[in-house]
Amino acid sequence: MARRRACPALAMAAWLGFPAAGWAAEAPAHPVRVVSMNLCADELVLRLADREQVAAVTALADDPRGSTVAREATGLTVTRGLSEEIVALRPDLVVAGAFTTRTTVGLLKRIGFPLLELGVPNDFDGVRAQIRTVAAALGQDARGAAMVAAFDARLAEVVAAGKPLRALVMRPNAFTVAPGSLGDAILRAAGLVNVAAELGRDRFGQVPLEAAAFAEADLLILDEGEPGHPSLADALLHHPVFDALRRRGRTVSIPNRLWTCPGPQVADVVARLAAAARGRNAP
Amino acid sequence: MNARFPPRDRIERRVVGILGLLVLVLTLASVAVGYAPFDIPAAAGDLLAGRATLPALVLWELRLPRALLGGLVGFSLGLTGAAMQGYLRNPLADPGILGLSSAAALGAVLVFYGGFAASFSLALPLGGIAGAALAALALNLVAARGGTTLGLILAGVALSSLAGALTALALNLSPNPYAALEIVFWLMGSLADRSMNHVWLCLPLMAAGWALMLSTGRALDALTLGEDTAASLGFHLVSVRLRLVTGAALAVGSGVAVSGAIGFVGLVVPHLVRPLVGARPGAGLWPSGLAGAALVLAADLGVRLLATRPELKLGVVTALVGAPFLIVLLLRQRGRGA
Amino acid sequence: MSLAAESVDIRLGGRAVLTDVTLALEPGRFVGLVGPNGAGKTTLLRTLAGLVPPRRGRVILDGTPLLDLSRDARAKRIAVLFQGAGAGWPMRVRDLVALGRLPHRRAFGGLDASDHAAIARAMARTDTAHFAERLEPTLSSGERMRVLLARALAVEAAWLLADEPITALDPAHQLDAMTLLRRVALAGTGVVAILHDLALAARFCDRIVVLGAGRLVDDGDPDILTDRRLAETFGITVRRGVAPDGTPYILPWHRSDPPPEDIDAALPQRS
Repeated sequence: MARRRACPALAMAAWLGFPAAGWAAEAPAHPVRVVSMNLCADELVLRLADREQVAAVTALADDPRGSTVAREATGLTVTRGLSEEIVALRPDLVVAGAFTTRTTVGLLKRIGFPLLELGVPNDFDGVRAQIRTVAAALGQDARGAAMVAAFDARLAEVVAAGKPLRALVMRPNAFTVAPGSLGDAILRAAGLVNVAAELGRDRFGQVPLEAAAFAEADLLILDEGEPGHPSLADALLHHPVFDALRRRGRTVSIPNRLWTCPGPQVADVVARLAAAARGRNAP
Repeated sequence: MNARFPPRDRIERRVVGILGLLVLVLTLASVAVGYAPFDIPAAAGDLLAGRATLPALVLWELRLPRALLGGLVGFSLGLTGAAMQGYLRNPLADPGILGLSSAAALGAVLVFYGGFAASFSLALPLGGIAGAALAALALNLVAARGGTTLGLILAGVALSSLAGALTALALNLSPNPYAALEIVFWLMGSLADRSMNHVWLCLPLMAAGWALMLSTGRALDALTLGEDTAASLGFHLVSVRLRLVTGAALAVGSGVAVSGAIGFVGLVVPHLVRPLVGARPGAGLWPSGLAGAALVLAADLGVRLLATRPELKLGVVTALVGAPFLIVLLLRQRGRGA
Repeated sequence: MSLAAESVDIRLGGRAVLTDVTLALEPGRFVGLVGPNGAGKTTLLRTLAGLVPPRRGRVILDGTPLLDLSRDARAKRIAVLFQGAGAGWPMRVRDLVALGRLPHRRAFGGLDASDHAAIARAMARTDTAHFAERLEPTLSSGERMRVLLARALAVEAAWLLADEPITALDPAHQLDAMTLLRRVALAGTGVVAILHDLALAARFCDRIVVLGAGRLVDDGDPDILTDRRLAETFGITVRRGVAPDGTPYILPWHRSDPPPEDIDAALPQRS
């Protein structure tokens, strides 16, 4: 797959040659040089914008292991979120995450590039609001409304579990979803009870393996990466304790990429969890 | 005559007995301490009766492996430290300082993140062993060229920096986004969330390494008076060196592959043991192994009882004890030597 | 009993160190191995101990080539005391002496009564028993030498080879050590010692073997240290005298090669 990277030399030329091109020129009706600096921003931008509007996405966007928009991202310019790369692209809209590439975002802010920072929503309303915000910034309000409608429709199809099963999410490195987070909202929407609330989590949201084993969860939701590129973080989810629970049919695996970002795909997660919960209830 | 000179062998046996008891107690304590309370005797009953209950599972796959690996890895590090110090006649020799551990970590990292361990699980300890063996051979070359204490230590520093840098590079090149963050495990070591698989993986290779190193006990005694004297006492020095290098690589390599590199154990332990056994290097082997096991088990209890989350890495605790110890040793060495 | 080198050639690092050395040793004799620095004395000693395989020729111990013997069998019959072999660790004197029993110990066995007896004998002969419990680093050079000698004697081998056993000692301890080696020889052991002090060698040894440039140049009783031999091999002239008891002695005096004025000029003039 061919990737084009913004090169630093170009950045300098752009910097010296067209000092005001990025932001002082007459702004068109909607942005035409959008640079996304965060995987979750990539997902929304690529789904909502016209392809011609997108100047660059992150290097993570075209990796199918982590991205839900790998196909759409193929062939686009990618950046690693470095200031020089972004400036060289002379964006008329930068979409960044609230917690990633902070140095670059700070610099872009000081220079005065049009910047949209995406927070991490805690519930479905937040998801809907974020979709609408991004769509509006891209000048694609109609698509945003359609995406929210599709999201709501997908959620409405979900048949929640008959009785409230106890569920525990284990992500790589034994991280779980905290009560009050979007992950928690997903569990609730699927008709599950998040056991993490009862467990002694640390301040980072990690659950000791022993505690996870003894949590008496009816459903252990393992957030698994694709096989092939091992890490200790992923290996933890294949610990024999989990394997034993897996054999007893008490686990369900949800691919990493569906969880990573608060996009419309979380409706799929809700649907999968609800299905797993019904399957667990049935016998 | 015998009454006037208490037989050393009996003292050695007593030291081994006491340290063995200590290791046993610490192992039981390690099994008893964890993050979720449960009825351990009942779980043990379930385990023995073959009932696959959840407590039995946790006991067998989390608590026991952690305790056993603490003992095994500690024994390997302590024994290897004692054997290396005896062989090189150098009080600063230690698998960590001389770069054996970091080279083993590099080998294990290449195998694990390259995906070879997934298809062939024994590849993980073998990778660690290969790394440790290469480092040991390199050090042997330095030592064979008449390297001084300082030269050997500097070679070790260079070796461990190189291995650490290559480990970081390998982890950063891995496409898995978590890999780059896991260097702390490999360079500082931890026994958290290991399983019985890890025990079975490293135990046979480790035991072979122990046997090789323990078999050199008398040769190490003889080497106290130099290589020529040892040879004149009937020891085959090439065979001794081969057994030590192979043994150290097997024990340290397979240990690091499952626990990461835990520093300073091999440095500190032989010094603590030496006065107890009359400074005979051969007599210090078993006690150093046991004291190493006790030290790692105690450190691992410490990181669990300290209740920091995420858990402290074991190397942090051993370095807190070991680094000041190393400084004192260096100062004393300077006072005596150059 | 015999220990003999037969036409031994040794090359180390591509350099001929010993050439065609033939030497037969007998028990009960104290042999002084002398020669200038670099003559190959230590290599000859190591060869006699079986630590260096000859390139040509062989070493025979009681009719058997040394290299055909097992390491243990060889170690039980030939004890070697190397120069500068201080202990690496603060071991007790008694434990150091006990190292001499290593060739006798069976697999996994400790020291038995015969070992303890041998250790006690060795310590008694070297007068080291009274500091048996002291640590090696606290010993003086003379004490350390005696302990190392006790270690070698504890092997109770038929042969004792010693590399410069007296070089680091003060005159009193040199006399003690030479007396001790002589007594060891009188008790039946074949003793070979590398010596630099020709005066002591001539006085204490039964037999002198002179090595020069890797060849055995002379072998016989101390009378072989003639003026010509000393000038040719050592490059020195000596003063000779006779002790009140009639024993002749020699005293190195001048280099024979550069003119003697050099030394005279350096020394204070007596008138």
